Amino acid sequence: MREDEGDVGGSAGGLASVGSPMLEAGPKAEAAKLLPFLALGARADLQAAAAQHVLALTGSGPGRTLLAGQAALLRALVELAVAPAPAPARDAARALVNLSADPGLHEPLLAAEPGLPARLLGCALDPQWPWAEEAAAVLANLSREPVPCTALMAALAAPEPGESGLERLVRALCTPGYNARAPLHYLGPMLSNLSQRPATRAFLLDPDRCVVQRLLPLTQYPDSSVRRGGVVGTLRNCCFEHRHHEWLLGPEVDILPFLLLPLAGPEDFSEEEMERLPVDLQYLPQDKQRDPDADIRKMLIEAIMLLTATAPGRKQVRDQGAYLILRELHNWEPEPDVRVTCEKLIQVLIGDEPEHGMENLLEVQVPEDVERQLQQQDRQEQEQCERVQQALELAPETQAEVAAPT
Amino acid sequence: MERPESDAASEDAMDSFLEKFQTQPYRGGFHEDQWEEEFEKIPLFMKKAPSEIDPQENPDLACLQSIIFDEERSPEEQARTFKDEGNDYFKEKDYKKAVISYTEGLKKKCADPDLNAILYSNRAAAQYYLGNFRSALNDVTAARKLKPCHLKAIVRGALCHLELKNYVEAVNWCDEGLQIDATEKKLLEMRAKADKLKRTEQRDIRKAKLKEKKEQNQNEALLQAIVARNIRLLSEAAGEDEDSASEGLGELILSGLTSENLYGARLSVDDGGRLSWPVLFLYPEYAQSDFISAFHEDSRFIDHLMVMFGETPSWDLEQKYCPDNLEVYFEDDDRSELYRVPPKSTLLEVLQHPRYFVKALTPAFLVCVGSSAFCRNYLRGRKVCQVK
Repeated sequence: MREDEGDVGGSAGGLASVGSPMLEAGPKAEAAKLLPFLALGARADLQAAAAQHVLALTGSGPGRTLLAGQAALLRALVELAVAPAPAPARDAARALVNLSADPGLHEPLLAAEPGLPARLLGCALDPQWPWAEEAAAVLANLSREPVPCTALMAALAAPEPGESGLERLVRALCTPGYNARAPLHYLGPMLSNLSQRPATRAFLLDPDRCVVQRLLPLTQYPDSSVRRGGVVGTLRNCCFEHRHHEWLLGPEVDILPFLLLPLAGPEDFSEEEMERLPVDLQYLPQDKQRDPDADIRKMLIEAIMLLTATAPGRKQVRDQGAYLILRELHNWEPEPDVRVTCEKLIQVLIGDEPEHGMENLLEVQVPEDVERQLQQQDRQEQEQCERVQQALELAPETQAEVAAPT
Repeated sequence: MERPESDAASEDAMDSFLEKFQTQPYRGGFHEDQWEEEFEKIPLFMKKAPSEIDPQENPDLACLQSIIFDEERSPEEQARTFKDEGNDYFKEKDYKKAVISYTEGLKKKCADPDLNAILYSNRAAAQYYLGNFRSALNDVTAARKLKPCHLKAIVRGALCHLELKNYVEAVNWCDEGLQIDATEKKLLEMRAKADKLKRTEQRDIRKAKLKEKKEQNQNEALLQAIVARNIRLLSEAAGEDEDSASEGLGELILSGLTSENLYGARLSVDDGGRLSWPVLFLYPEYAQSDFISAFHEDSRFIDHLMVMFGETPSWDLEQKYCPDNLEVYFEDDDRSELYRVPPKSTLLEVLQHPRYFVKALTPAFLVCVGSSAFCRNYLRGRKVCQVK
């Protein structure tokens, strides 16, 4: 998440008139002058103004670079971000969101305040904290990179009375109204990033507990593509664990209908076709919409593709009627690269069974020259997709600054 | 010490007691032929307690009972005794008695919340097996109020919701229980089951809705077809005719379209958009009738008559009902007039006649033998018009 520069243009303009020399001559020294006003005991109105100014700085590349060199300032910012009212915690947190969106700033941030992940985690998971969403967004940004992700994993693993950090995180994500003042959508991408780690996946896929099952209904969450995307990304990462495929596709989890539902439209299947589908996909109403976000659709197809890596998995996916849904999706899909991904999956479903030694496609050794050929084919495909995209004159989308795991 | 002496004394007494039996039979023993029954009556050797204790029959047992249910013991002790009694009944699957025992225990209003929570929880289980799921739910709710972490109560509550088909509630209770013990197997199983049942139920609702919509669409199409053909319908209730279906009449017709008539047939439309009607042929001469379940609107009367009267029917005593002899009429009730239908006309042509009104969505026609005495009599004194 990145705050738009236009958003805070007003405040930057206002303060600039007070001391515009700030940003020109000796910016570092000037920035350091903000420090006393950011301290916890400072006068409230000055503190608020200083925080706003810092927030304005984080809206630009040079501003962020400037702040990166100011360890004391960063530390003060973190203190403010977790301080109770009347501290300008929200602006401080938003400044951190902007800073953490830049991977180059992760090192200075963590160097300035190593306790940053743990402290923001506490805020994000505090049901009473009003700026929990901002805290979660910072953590979502940070956890995209391996070093901060490790720090966050450590913070989650810290011994707590009662439930573990990961359990609390899942509960906060899955319980509607966990925090009355913050929607906590960014816990989704945060979990998605964390699910790149085996320890997280082990927790999510524990067959003696009910964890991953609670995430499944969120694939249909209508109010936030951030949350939905985070959950789908998490599920996709979980699907890399092929040892768990049978359990995932079986009745105890029943993951496939939840992956197919966002890909299904208001299709009118015949009675016989309908009976082949899982119950969740039968008799969908006329106004059923597919997921509007192409990235999410792609991740869902990728997740199903992973589940077809083993022969028993392929059989289960076929038997549960995935082909019908994907066929209709392919007819409808407007995005070229999603359509290609869909095609590949359909090929797997209707193709012949691979020869001996290839039963688990995730474990197959690809000979080097074949590998090179495939990579070249992928590049060519990619180029073709890009050409098609340009031909369609789609405006390049601003990349969301969060979760694109693996 | 006096012992040795009293020992000696009692030994003497014992000896003389025993010696008595050399001459007299022992009277206090069991009777040979019913010793097993008498054995059973001694409390210590009872295999099964009688459900009602009659002090006359069983004084020893009644005695013991009065000791354990002594009012002078503390409420906790009494409640505990009732709990144990209830548990015993429960083990014997006598759930009604178990409920009573647990209730008595709760009545003591003892100060131990754990004990009361157990009493509520156990009573809930007994109620569950009696099929009183709502009472059981009330009890587990009370148990949870006293002891929020009482897992047995939560499991029982989830089971009740499952039986009552409150699948969403069942899942919620399971989740709450899993927060206390995340690996409790029964809860994990129940959650998966309840979730699947919920999703199946949602599917059933969608299916029914779709079916209803389809039927509605079909009926609308049928109604449109009738209106387009300018066919006049009579509703049974109103008894009024309309040239075109008004709102109210339209609805009545629609409901008539879904239900089948007495003979199990309905108005239908084929792929080419042509209607087929259920049609009644009435034979007033012999008070007989024939029912044609699907008379295609483009088929002619004569075609049907040829098939139906290929052989003269059993009731045709004079064997005169042959296709060539038959005349078809319809009645215009309003004006008490009869209209003669040329057999070569199609059904549609007749239905579109300005004086033809279809009653109950089942067109009816009168058939008799034109040249017969009956027919002449029937038609006498009535105005007969020709359908052009």
